[in-house]
Amino acid sequence: MNLSGILVVAKPEFQAQVVEALNGLEGVEVHQVDEATGRIVAVQEAANIHAEIDGVKRIKALPHVILAEMVYHYLADDERKYEDMPPELQDQQSGFDGCVVPEYLNS
Amino acid sequence: MGISRRDFLKTSVAGATAATVGMPLSEQAEAAVKQSEKGWQWDKGVCRFCGTGCGIMVATQGGRIVATKGDPDAPVNRGLNCVKGYFNGKILYGADRLTQPLLRMTDGKFDKKGKFTPISWEKAIDIMEEKIRWALKEKGPTGIGVFASGQYTIHEGYAAVKLWKGGFRSNHIDPNARHCMASAVVAFMQTFGIDEPQGNYDDIEHTDTAILWGANMAEMHPILWSRITDRRLTHKPMKVVNLSVYGNMSSDIADLEIIFSPSGDLAIQNYIAREIVKRDVIDWDFVKKHTQFATGPYDIGYGFRPANAEKFHSAAEMEIVKNEKVRVLDKWEAIAQRRKEGEAVEQKNTAGLLPMRDWAISFEDFKTALEPYTLDFVAEVSKGDPDESIDAYKAKLKQLADMYCDRNRKIVSYWTMGFNQHQRGTWVNEQCYMNHLLTGRQSKPGDGAFSLTGQPSACGTAREVGTFAHRLPADMVVMNPKHRALTEKIWKLPTKTLNPAIGSHFVKQMRDLEDGQMLFSWTHVNNPWQNTANVNHWIKGAREMNNFIVVSEAYPGVSAKVADLILPAAMINEKWGAYGNAERRTQVWRQQVMPPGQARPDIWMMMELSKRFKLKEVWGEQKIPGLKADGFEDGKLPSVLDEAVKMGYNPEQTLYEVLYATPDNKKVAWPDPIAKGHPNITADLLKDGWFPEKALFEEYRQFGTGKAHDLAPFDVYHDDKLRGLKWPVHFKDGKWVETQWRNNEKYDPYCKKGSGFDFYGNDGVKMVMGDLDKPGDPKNTVDISGKAKIYFRPYASPVEKPDANYDLWLCTGRVLEHWHSGTMTRRVPELHRAVPNAVCWIHPKDAEAKGLKRNDLVWVESRRGKVKVRLETGGRNKMPRGMIYVPWFDEGVLINKVTLDATCPQSKETDYKKCSVKIYKA
Repeated sequence: MNLSGILVVAKPEFQAQVVEALNGLEGVEVHQVDEATGRIVAVQEAANIHAEIDGVKRIKALPHVILAEMVYHYLADDERKYEDMPPELQDQQSGFDGCVVPEYLNS
Repeated sequence: MGISRRDFLKTSVAGATAATVGMPLSEQAEAAVKQSEKGWQWDKGVCRFCGTGCGIMVATQGGRIVATKGDPDAPVNRGLNCVKGYFNGKILYGADRLTQPLLRMTDGKFDKKGKFTPISWEKAIDIMEEKIRWALKEKGPTGIGVFASGQYTIHEGYAAVKLWKGGFRSNHIDPNARHCMASAVVAFMQTFGIDEPQGNYDDIEHTDTAILWGANMAEMHPILWSRITDRRLTHKPMKVVNLSVYGNMSSDIADLEIIFSPSGDLAIQNYIAREIVKRDVIDWDFVKKHTQFATGPYDIGYGFRPANAEKFHSAAEMEIVKNEKVRVLDKWEAIAQRRKEGEAVEQKNTAGLLPMRDWAISFEDFKTALEPYTLDFVAEVSKGDPDESIDAYKAKLKQLADMYCDRNRKIVSYWTMGFNQHQRGTWVNEQCYMNHLLTGRQSKPGDGAFSLTGQPSACGTAREVGTFAHRLPADMVVMNPKHRALTEKIWKLPTKTLNPAIGSHFVKQMRDLEDGQMLFSWTHVNNPWQNTANVNHWIKGAREMNNFIVVSEAYPGVSAKVADLILPAAMINEKWGAYGNAERRTQVWRQQVMPPGQARPDIWMMMELSKRFKLKEVWGEQKIPGLKADGFEDGKLPSVLDEAVKMGYNPEQTLYEVLYATPDNKKVAWPDPIAKGHPNITADLLKDGWFPEKALFEEYRQFGTGKAHDLAPFDVYHDDKLRGLKWPVHFKDGKWVETQWRNNEKYDPYCKKGSGFDFYGNDGVKMVMGDLDKPGDPKNTVDISGKAKIYFRPYASPVEKPDANYDLWLCTGRVLEHWHSGTMTRRVPELHRAVPNAVCWIHPKDAEAKGLKRNDLVWVESRRGKVKVRLETGGRNKMPRGMIYVPWFDEGVLINKVTLDATCPQSKETDYKKCSVKIYKA
C-alpha cells in the first residue's frame, strides 16, 4: 500500500471545483481545505507504486490546479525489499560475481 | 491491513501533510498524527540530491528510517519536496547495498584480472597502504590521486584535502564538481575576486523577471521552480524567459521561449550588451563607481590533451582534437572576432594559466568589440529551430533585449549546466555578469545573475573547502605563497610542506591513468567512470594499465565495477554531516541510523589510512615533475623533516596524529550533549574519545573567519530551531547573523562604509591596460579595488559540429526522477519505474527521414563510441530538427562513451552539451 499526502493549490475562485474533481479521482480523498489560500490537502492511495507517481501527474493535469506536490510519504509498513531492479543491475543480485566488468562496458 | 487501520493512517498522513505546509490541524487529525507517530524520533536533515538544499525532516524508529517529509521551517522549500526529495529515506535501503570491502582476487591474492572477493577492512587498508607506497616510490606525490566530490560532507572534503595536500603533498585531488561548477567558479573569481553568488533564493520573491539560460529548472530544480511559478501567478509584471537548445518543461509557464543553437548564447549575450549600449541605458553611476571593462585572449584551445594526442586518439578523434593546436575560423567566428573566414589561428594561450590572462580595456574598445553583434548577425548565428522563421526569432531576441533595457524591470538570470558545461563556459558566465553589471542589476534584492548548483555541497565542500587541484580553503590557491603560508600555519605544517604546483584536474587525472603517470586512484562519493566524457578511454585506462583503482561506494555502479578494490561507504543519514547550498547556506545533520553491514563513513576510511603513514615516509624530499615556483628547486619539494622536528614533531608520528587526532582536536570530546543521544559511528570506531566532525569543522572555520567566508560554530548550526545560515556569518548583539546579499552595503558588513556597493574581492588587484587584442605597457595599470570586471568575450563556434557523416547534435543532461548517475535513485522502485531507462529524444521528422519510429532501438554513434537506446519522439522534451537529447543517469545507456572530452580551457570543465553523432537502427 502506498499512501501519499499531497498539497494541491487551486486558483481560489475555482477551489470548490478542484475539490470535487479530486474527490472524483480513484484513490484520492480531500482531507483539508484552506479557503483563504486555495490550499488543499489530499491523500492518495495507490494500488501499486507506478500508480502513485501517475496519480500526481493526473492531479497536476486537472483544470485550475496551480501546483500539486507530494509532501508526505508513508513507508513505515513498507518492509519489502525492492525486487524491481533495473534489468542490467539484476544479474549482480546473485553475489559478487556480478561485479565483474559487464560486457556492455567493454564493447 | 484492516479498513479502520487504513482510514486511520490516511487521516494521519493528511494531518502530517497539513502540518508540514503550515495549515491548521483539526483536533481529530492532530490526535491521529500523534498516535501514528508514537515512538518515532524526528530530526532535521538536508536533502541528499541537488544543490537547492531543501530541508528534510527524518523520522527514525528501531534503527530504521520510517518516514521523511519536507521541512516546514526550512526557508528554502517551506515544507515542499520534489519527487526525488520525497524518497530520500528509501535510497539507503536498496537491495544491492555494498556492505563489505571487495578486492579483485585469484587464489587468495590480489589480481587485476581476478574476481571480486570479500575481504576484511584490515586487509583492505593493507593493500591500499601497499599500493600507495608503490606509487609514491615510482612516481612521487603525483602518482596518487583522488576523484573527490561535490557530495562530500564539509568534514569529509576537509579531511580529504588535508590528507592529500598536507600529508601526501599531492595536489592531485579534484572533485566531480569540476564537471559541473568549475566554469561558474572561474567566472566568479575573475569577475568578483570571490566565489559564489551575491544574491539568494529570496530574489525570486523580489523580482519581475526570471531568465533561464540553458537551465531546465522545472525538472532539475523543481522546488525553486515552484517558487518561480508562485511568483509568476501572484505578481502581475512577472515574466519568465526560457532560453534553451530544445523545448522543455520549463517552457510550459514561460512567457518567452527562445530556442538557440549550441554556443549561440555567446552571441545572444553580446547582442543584449550591444542594445544596452546603443539604447544608452547603461547605469553609469554603478558602472563608473563599481566596475572595470576587461578582456582576454581568444586563442585558448579546447582543453584537449596538450601533447602527444595522436598517441592516444584515433584518426577520427584527431579530426576534432587537432583544433587544440590550430583553429581555422568559420564565417561566424570571423565576424564575431573581427578576423577573416578561413584564417588558421594558432592557439597560443592554451598552456597552464595562459587561458586565464586578462587585461583592462576602455569603454570605447568594449563598444567597438560589440559592434559586429547586430540583430541580423546574432539571429543568423544563434537561431536553433530550423522550422522557426528568422523574423519570428528576431522578434523574440528583441523582446529579450527590451526587458534588459527596461530599467524599471528587475531581473534574475539563472543557469547551471547549459552555461557551465560549455567549451566557453567561463566566458558565457562572465557575459551574463556583463549585462547585469552594465544595468546595475547585481547584488540587489530581485536583481542579480545567479549560478545554481547541481550537487548538495558543490558550494559548501568542493568550492568553500577547496577540494580542487588548485585550491585551499576559503578561496585560497596552492600557487600563492601567502595562501600556502596561512594554510601551513593553521594546519601546523612546516614551511614548504605544501606543493605549489597545480595538480591534475578531473579529466587530466583520467588522462594520467591512461598514459601511466598516475598509479593509484581513490574515488570518493561519485561515479567517475560514468560521469566523465569519452569514457571508453578511461575504462581502458583503469582496466588495462598497471595501476590500482579504489572506489568507495554505496552501490555497485559503473565505477565500482571497473575498480580493483571496492570500499562500502556509509550514506547521508548514516553519518554526521554538513552541506553548503547554492545560496551560501551551511546546513548540518546528525547521524540517524547505523550503516548496514560493514559499510563505513568515508572520513573513517581516510583516517584509518592515515594511521599507516609516518612523517618520515612522506615529508622527505619529493620529486614533482614540472614544478617551478619561487623558493623551490625545479621539480622538487624539499624535505621538511628537520623543521618538523623543530616544531616538536617526531618523524615516527603518523599522519593520523599530525593531521587529524591533534592535541587541539582531541580536546573536542565525544560523547557530546549536542548529539542528544544520536550515535557517531566514526568516533565509536576510532575509540580515542574525540568528535572528529566537530573538531574538523572548528579547525576549518579558522580559514574563513575575518576573510569574508565566516561560518558560525558547529553547535550553532546544530540548534534544533536553526535551518542553516548564509555566510559570511557575523556575531552581532549576542546572535549569529547571516548575510542576505553580499557586496551590497545595506546587507553586507564587509562593504566599506559609504561605498553603496563594494566588490571587495578584487581589493588590491591591479590590471594592465590594453586594447582588444593585447595587454599594453605593463607599467600602465589600473587599481580595481572594490570593483567588478565587465568582460568582453566573443562568440566562438563549437569545436565539433554536425557534418555529412555525423549529422546530428547530441545534448546530454538529466531527468526529474533521477539524480546524476542514478546510483541512488535507480534503487528506489518508484523512481525507477517512473523512468526506467534513458531514451533518445528526437524530432519526429528526423526519425521519419531516417526510416525510424518511436520505441525503435537505435545506435547513437560518434567519433568516440556508440550506445544502444530507444527513440522517443514525444514526451516532455521537444527537440528541434537536427538535435537529439539523451540523459546520462542510465548505466545501461552509457552515453558518455559518445560524448566529447573538450573542456572550457579556463575552467577545465567538460562540455557535455554539444558534439556530433549519427543514429541508425540497431
